[in-house]
Amino acid sequence: MIFLKMITHESIRPFTVLFGAIVVLGLVDRGNGNFLSVATAFSVLQLFSTLGLVSLALSLSLIVRGFDLSVAGMLSLAGCVAVLTGAEHPWLGLGAGLVLGLVAGILQGLIITQLKIPPLGVTLGGLLTFQGLSYALTEGQTIAYPHYNLALVLTKPIGGFLSYRSIITLGVFLLIFLVMSYTRVGRDVMATGSDQHASRIAGVHTDRILIGVFATAGLLTALAGVLLSYSLAAASPVALSDVLVPAAAAAIIGGVSLGGGKGNPLGVAAGVLTLCILRSGLNAVGTSPFVHEIVTGAVLLLVAILDAPSLPRRLISWRLRARRI
Amino acid sequence: MLLLLTIGALATPGFLSTPSIVALLTSMSFIGCVAVGMTFITLSGNIMSLCLGVTLSASSLIFISGLAFGIVPALVLAIGFGIAITACQGFLVGYLQANPIIVSISALALMLGTADLITGGQRIYPPGDGLDILTGNLFGVPVEVIFLISSVGIGQVILSYTRFGLRIYMVGTNLNAAQAAGVSIWRTITGSYMLAGLFAAIAGILLSARYGSGDMELGIGYDYDAIAAVLVGGTAIHGGEGSVLRTLLGVAVVSVIQVVLLLHGFSQQMQYLMTGLIVLTVIMLHSMGEEHS
Repeated sequence: MIFLKMITHESIRPFTVLFGAIVVLGLVDRGNGNFLSVATAFSVLQLFSTLGLVSLALSLSLIVRGFDLSVAGMLSLAGCVAVLTGAEHPWLGLGAGLVLGLVAGILQGLIITQLKIPPLGVTLGGLLTFQGLSYALTEGQTIAYPHYNLALVLTKPIGGFLSYRSIITLGVFLLIFLVMSYTRVGRDVMATGSDQHASRIAGVHTDRILIGVFATAGLLTALAGVLLSYSLAAASPVALSDVLVPAAAAAIIGGVSLGGGKGNPLGVAAGVLTLCILRSGLNAVGTSPFVHEIVTGAVLLLVAILDAPSLPRRLISWRLRARRI
Repeated sequence: MLLLLTIGALATPGFLSTPSIVALLTSMSFIGCVAVGMTFITLSGNIMSLCLGVTLSASSLIFISGLAFGIVPALVLAIGFGIAITACQGFLVGYLQANPIIVSISALALMLGTADLITGGQRIYPPGDGLDILTGNLFGVPVEVIFLISSVGIGQVILSYTRFGLRIYMVGTNLNAAQAAGVSIWRTITGSYMLAGLFAAIAGILLSARYGSGDMELGIGYDYDAIAAVLVGGTAIHGGEGSVLRTLLGVAVVSVIQVVLLLHGFSQQMQYLMTGLIVLTVIMLHSMGEEHS
């Protein structure tokens, strides 16, 4: 029982789920070597690079109680901008994409804090605007990126299962983890998410924190978008917009609470890995691609139910009722 | 804002022509039905559902495949399906206080996956015709518009004149106070979700009748259009304040903007951008107005 409590404890649960997913898929595979292979690890990490930073950005916004819907739009917008401006110099495209993400995030943060508008409304407007911008910039077309060799470099396997793209992603995760765990800024972010009013009274500049979080979210998403477009050697306004569902799923599986003030980049990484492993693993053992959508949905639903605030109360009342009968 | 929009619309050549008005009203109907459904979810304090678009698509699939048994069973099946799907979500949200957005996202993934597994991602076509009733005109008005008007009417009557409507406002304004006042939270929230499913299914039936096929892609984007319309209409994003009539106004604003841009020769891509900017502006104006008053 103590063991059960330990592995289902909030901060450990993401890793338990991750471990469970690996074990189940390993059992389904029964030692055929399709799942537990270096190739699967590589493809998992490639998926991780696409989804991870977006999910991290979303998680940061969730920690301060702002659901940043605009990440879905920024991912494709930053990719399109980078491909359009970086045709000559990839670094220029990267810079343009990142600056755009940062500025857009700061603007959204300013609107939220200065005009006191709920984040969901602002970022919904942001999502529609960013999506519209990327359609307008690309005229609705998929744009090819001329530097194919850059795509090859970014996605070339290093040491079997890593690539430059996944190394960058993992590095950013580590950086955010360090900032959130060991700096005052990190503590202020958590405090703002737990109780904004109390934090302000305690001397935290909550407005600055909120603007900073949305700016970081924009920056991280833009980085993900640029990396994705560069490694696909293409950018399109449409194809990337389905990212919101898995990104939110990963954040929630990773232990980020929607009530704010809870969540940790390592947990988010475990959440993203769980989803990526489910996806690649199900591919590797040869199930239909539609199944992973169902599995993702089922896992998410399960976590939503387990995380529901009234669940313990309802369980207790059921037990009492059963005893009376 | 409204004045500007009206002037802009009236000053646009071709806006007042009959075909343009009919097209405007028809496209309004599809978004409108979903938005009316979304209003109930927003009002009950559950912000938005990201799966009404998919519910719409799935209902269209069920409607088209149900046509084999005749049009009435098909209607019943599709509407029943829409209500059942959202009722489950409403139950989870209301009874266990599960997070509404996450529940809707997981329902979205589950429905997409299941539908694609069954249909193989294909579009399906009706066995014969007989859909004309749902696409024609009644007294010179497109059937879709009649459905929109009745949806808005029914929705507004439920909200304004029934106990259930009152309970939705109470739950949306303050959950704990409503509970203390003896309102059954989970029944109210499940009820609001069921209404959302009902109206999404109606939109699905109308759309599949219009296009003569059922398809998981029919409903893409409707979630965002609907919530945009709800917010532009001035329903508060945190619930408890707003109405179906306001949503109708919001739908009208969003649709008129799109038509005006189209008539001025803006490309489809520019329309997306302008819609986003305008939604952002309207939300900001609303909130600023709220703060001052």
